[in-house]
Amino acid sequence: MPVAWLVGRKLVRALLTLWFAVTVTFLLLRLLPGDPALALASPNMTAETRASILASYGLDKPLVVQYGLYLGQLVQGNLGTSFTQSIPVTQVLGARLPWTLLLTGASLVLTVVLGIPLGVLAASRRGGVLDRLVQVVGVTGQSVFVPSVAVLLLFAFGVRLGWLPIGGAYDTGVYGVAWYGDVARHLVLPALSLTLVQLGAYVLTVRSTLIDALGQDYTTLAQANGLSPRRVLWKHALRNALLPATTLIGLQLGFLVGGAVLTETVFAYPGVGRGIYEAVTQLDYAVLQGAFLLLAATVVVANMVTDVVYGLLDPRVSTR
Amino acid sequence: MSPTTRLAGLSRRTRLLALAATGALLAATAACAPQAPPASDASGGTDDATLTIATTTDVVNYNPLVGNSRSDYWVTNLMYPHLLGIDDQGKKTPSLAKAWGYTTPTKAYYDIRDDFTWSDGQKLTADDVAWTLNTVKKDKPSGTFYGQLSNFTSAKVVSPTRVELDLSKPDSSIVEEIGFWGNIVPEHVFSRASSVATFPNDGKDGGWIGAGPYTLTKVQVGQSYTLDRVASYPLVEGGKPGAAHVVFRVFPDVNTEILALQSGEVDVIANALPPAQVDTLAKTSGVTVAKAAGLGYAHLTYNMKNPDLARLEVRQALSQAVDYGTIRNVVLRDQAVSTGSSPLMPVLTDYYDPKISEYAFDPSAARSLMEKAGYTADSSGMFPPTFRMIYSLQDSVTAQWATLVKDSSAKAGIKIELQGLERNTYLAKTAKGDFDIYAGNFAIMDDPATNMTLTYLPGGVINYSYVDDEQLNTLIQKATVTQDQAEKVALMQQAATIVHENVYDNVMYTQNLAFAHSSRWTGFVSQPSELLSIVNPESLASARKTG
Repeated sequence: MPVAWLVGRKLVRALLTLWFAVTVTFLLLRLLPGDPALALASPNMTAETRASILASYGLDKPLVVQYGLYLGQLVQGNLGTSFTQSIPVTQVLGARLPWTLLLTGASLVLTVVLGIPLGVLAASRRGGVLDRLVQVVGVTGQSVFVPSVAVLLLFAFGVRLGWLPIGGAYDTGVYGVAWYGDVARHLVLPALSLTLVQLGAYVLTVRSTLIDALGQDYTTLAQANGLSPRRVLWKHALRNALLPATTLIGLQLGFLVGGAVLTETVFAYPGVGRGIYEAVTQLDYAVLQGAFLLLAATVVVANMVTDVVYGLLDPRVSTR
Repeated sequence: MSPTTRLAGLSRRTRLLALAATGALLAATAACAPQAPPASDASGGTDDATLTIATTTDVVNYNPLVGNSRSDYWVTNLMYPHLLGIDDQGKKTPSLAKAWGYTTPTKAYYDIRDDFTWSDGQKLTADDVAWTLNTVKKDKPSGTFYGQLSNFTSAKVVSPTRVELDLSKPDSSIVEEIGFWGNIVPEHVFSRASSVATFPNDGKDGGWIGAGPYTLTKVQVGQSYTLDRVASYPLVEGGKPGAAHVVFRVFPDVNTEILALQSGEVDVIANALPPAQVDTLAKTSGVTVAKAAGLGYAHLTYNMKNPDLARLEVRQALSQAVDYGTIRNVVLRDQAVSTGSSPLMPVLTDYYDPKISEYAFDPSAARSLMEKAGYTADSSGMFPPTFRMIYSLQDSVTAQWATLVKDSSAKAGIKIELQGLERNTYLAKTAKGDFDIYAGNFAIMDDPATNMTLTYLPGGVINYSYVDDEQLNTLIQKATVTQDQAEKVALMQQAATIVHENVYDNVMYTQNLAFAHSSRWTGFVSQPSELLSIVNPESLASARKTG
């Protein structure tokens, strides 16, 4: 199957997924209890003021009309205007997106950098103490809730030991090169929180696929050819074992994005996740719709890229 | 090509891609990197010091005519002056306006100071005041300001320092309420917007222009808001604000703010301290706790649309099934005062009526009242009606005492079902009257006539008990009109007596507030309510670093 056809098919699927995400988000937000006018204005407002607020944001129109208008705006690349901030949603999200990219990117890199060696270590010592330890830690990591880990880390390293900052992305009054160091210090705890909860899945996947690869004929052949066990493990078995792990990275991006919302809230990290938290408290439908669309698009694009890369890596997939 | 070879080939591409992504990420963060200010501003001396204030929310809207959150108010208040201030007894004090009053029952005036200047050098004149009032009336922004203008028709400038207001009907409170709640904005900036209701005032068009002690200069969304000192601010001694810069930093919650204050990351916590933390912080070395009077009250309101609650005996029974003393002692750690179960709180010294006394906590009497109302208790001693009480889960103090109210009511055989709600749901249910008992509080109830109009007149927007009492209506309407202060006080006291006797509202206490700041700073001026706290313009302008 030609690559163009593969990419085209994935693109259509991605667009359908996005439309579904947009529609569900639109409807779910309208099902939320609460009154956007009350979130915007004083509870002392008159009925006239309330009607005026709802009308100014088109919330007085029937749901179908609101949906149609929203979709119309979207296809023109317009995410709307924030109810509470009176500025374009793209501007609201644009200010926060770099921080979320930094946090999720750092966490993803950390997961891969830690996950591969740990998975290899466990697989190469199958049944040993290290293997069992990695499995226990991996399963535990998968089972815990991101905010629980975040609060524990914050309490231990931020409050008790005082080694790392307890919130924000950097301190005020820090400039130039020192600012980068400060950003890194503030990034440690949020990134570690996210990494710890997703590391388990990655380690366990690498471990199981590597064990599988180590039992394959090409591994036996490599061993029979006299290659060192280290070379067989890292150059032959691991490279093939990494194919499912590549898929997992794409899948985990969804968890990462969801985890970022919670982590940013705990650490007052100024990313899209914290923005979502604040928009929920203000019932700012426009920002919430834009933020969820952005997050859905991130996951969809990541999955699409993963699919395409996987297809390029393994010809059997691209011909299916 | 084997999968292994393909992977090896892609690794180089992947590495290149990763390199490009890292570069892009660095470029993105580099764009965020703050630039160092000129050396003279960053010396850190007492005159050039930066005062860092902790807050729990971002600034949502920089337009003071719209903004509704605490952080919005605190930041914009430092730039856009009010005509009037307020003292600890709720009395209005001069601010931008030197004098105010009425020339006829439907004509009012403000005389404003002539020494206020916008930060771009233009004089603040009566034109700005009249334009602000007229434009808010026309554009109807969603903030509290517009809500004060119901009886306001128009404003006109009669001299550079005098503005006259035309009213649609006599209203003896409107001048003070507009003066206290409304911010004055620069006409030459805000008039560029097609409507002030949708004007974001986000500084994109040449920065912010204010006339307060500080002007916003830098925003890091989700992180911090930096304001710089203006050259001259007439309301501070010596005309020059103390700190060179004021920075509001966003933290997840009050507990994290306290940790940041203790570790020296911030100098002030803008939010009121939770009652349980006040004593601990007061004893903490390097931390000073400042007290401020509360100007609001916490109350229980009984929805009289419910036939059971429409009966006086039931409301009286409920009012005698609350252990008020325990709530104040245990939940509020004695940081609250009884209002005498009256909407005229002791803090309003002119209006407070000591003859109105607090409902007694007497479960036996409450039980008798329920029996008198015709209810028979079942074998477990509980009467048949169950009342659903709503409260906001974001309000931790109310959430704590709601449980106490449920337990103490059970002693009187009255079953209360608690419904703690997320704030937006709570507000929506309150507005719809979807509750039996409402538990909550009002932050500032500074003017009794205005407040009773909203709270007890039919159609009043916060008339949560749906009271419609002819005698009460007459008293409130007379009080809103009269210019005779003594008569107004007498009318309000009569109205409060009716509210008390009929349990139209069960006003429980006024919470006094405590604010914490670093002991390295002095000179703060605490003002009543969390809205003003120690981060009001006069306070921050007066604050000085001691060393």
